[in-house]
Amino acid sequence: MGTKYANAVAAVRAMENSLLSRSDIEQLISSATRSELENIVAAKRGTGSEELTLEGVWDTLRGYAPDCRELEILLYRNDFHNLKAALKSMIAGKEPQGYYIRPTNLDLEALYPVLSAKEYEQLPEYISDTAAQAYELLTRTLDGQLADSLVDTACMKAMQAAAEKSGSDFMKKYAQLVTVCADIKTAYRCCRMKKQRSFIETAVCGSSGLDKEQLVRASLGGTEGLFSFLESTSWGDAARLLAESPAKFEKWCDDVIMELAEGARMQAFGADPLAAYFIAAEAELKNLRIITVCKESGTDRETITERMRKLYV
Amino acid sequence: MTNGLVLAILGAALAALLAGIGSAKGVGLVGEAAAGVVSVDPSKFSKVLILQLLPGTQGLYGLLTAILMLSRIGVIGSGAAELTTAQGWSFFIAALPIAVVGLISAVFQGKTAAAGVGITAKKPEHNGKGIIMAAMVETYAILALLVSILLIYNINI
Repeated sequence: MGTKYANAVAAVRAMENSLLSRSDIEQLISSATRSELENIVAAKRGTGSEELTLEGVWDTLRGYAPDCRELEILLYRNDFHNLKAALKSMIAGKEPQGYYIRPTNLDLEALYPVLSAKEYEQLPEYISDTAAQAYELLTRTLDGQLADSLVDTACMKAMQAAAEKSGSDFMKKYAQLVTVCADIKTAYRCCRMKKQRSFIETAVCGSSGLDKEQLVRASLGGTEGLFSFLESTSWGDAARLLAESPAKFEKWCDDVIMELAEGARMQAFGADPLAAYFIAAEAELKNLRIITVCKESGTDRETITERMRKLYV
Repeated sequence: MTNGLVLAILGAALAALLAGIGSAKGVGLVGEAAAGVVSVDPSKFSKVLILQLLPGTQGLYGLLTAILMLSRIGVIGSGAAELTTAQGWSFFIAALPIAVVGLISAVFQGKTAAAGVGITAKKPEHNGKGIIMAAMVETYAILALLVSILLIYNINI
C-alpha cells in the first residue's frame, strides 16, 4: 500500500464531514415535510455545495486518483447492468439511454452502436466475452431471464477476477461479499420459482465464501433445504434474516459491505478509504431514498428506522 | 588537501544531503495530503501547514551539523585544518547519526504527519493530537543531532 493516494485520502477525510451522521438521520426521519427534509440535508452539505450524487462522488474520486484501477471494480455491477439494458433495448428496438445506470466504466454513447455492430472487442476485456455470449443467448432463446442470469454471473466472476488481480484484500473481500449476497438472493428466488438445476447452475456464481455446487444442491431442496444449508455456513445470520423477510436480508447485505468499509476508516493511505467513501455515499443515497419513499407512503417512524442502512460516519 | 579533510567534508555533505532528502520526502508527502484537505476545505490551511513543517526540521539539523563541522575543521572561517586520516574518519562518523537518523525519521515523520492531516480533516479540534504524534518521531532526530554535535566538538584536532 505504501503512501499512495495521500492527497486523495486526505480530501476524502475532509469530504466525510458532509456525510450524514446518525443524529442527522434521526432528524430526517422526524421531519414532517419533504421541504424540511431537504433543508436538513442542505444544511449538512453547506451552502453553495452541489447535491450528492454517485456520479459526482465518482468524478471527484477519479479526479484525485485517476490511476486507481481498483476503484473500477465498484462500478462493475453498473457496467453489466448497462450491458443488459443495451442488449434488451436492441432486441426491443428501443432507445437504451433511459435504462442506463451511472456512473459506469463504459462509454455509454458507444455501447449501443458497438453491440449493434457486434464489435465486442471494442468493449473492455472483462465484459466483451459476456456481451457476445449474452447477445447470442438472447437472440437464440429470447429468454431475457436466462440472459440476465448469464450476465449477472459473469459480473460477479469479473469482479472476483479483477479484485484478485488488484491484490487488494479490501477489494477481494468486497467482491466476495457482493457475490455471496447475490448468490443467496438468486438461490432463494430459484427455490421460490422452482427452477431447474440447469438454470440455477447458470444463475449462481459461487465464491470462496460460498461453494457453488453445495448452494445449487441446497437450492434444489426448496427454501427449507437452502436455509438449513446456509445455517451450516458462516452466513447463518443472513439465512435467518432472509427467512424473516427479503427486505431484512437486503439491509443485511448493505450492512456487511459497510462493515467492510468501516475497516478503511483508520487508514491514511491507499485505495481502500476511497472505495469506502464511495460505498458510504451509496449507502447515504439509499437511506435518503428510503426515507423519502417511506415518508410519501406514510410509513411509521419505527419501520423507517428499522430499514436504515449502517452509516460510515 | 589531506585525505582526512576530504573525509570530514564528505561527512558534512552527507549530513546535509541525507537529512535534506528525508525532509524533502516527508514534507512532500504531508504536502500532498494537506493539499487534498485544503482543496475541499481551504479554512484548514493553517492547521495542516504546522503538520507539513514538522518533517522539515531534520533537513535543518543536517544543515546545522554540516555548518558546525565545516566551521570546526576550518573550511568556514580560519582556513582548512590539516587533518589526519583518523581525524577525517572521526568527523565522517560524527556526521552519520544525523545523516542516517535524519533521513529515516523525516520519512516516517512525514507518514505520521500525513495521517495527522486526516485527523485535522475530520476532527479539526483534535489537530493537536496529530501534531503530538508526529512530534514524537522528532525525538530521535534530536537525539541523533545531539550525538553528532557532541562527537564533532570532542574530536581532537
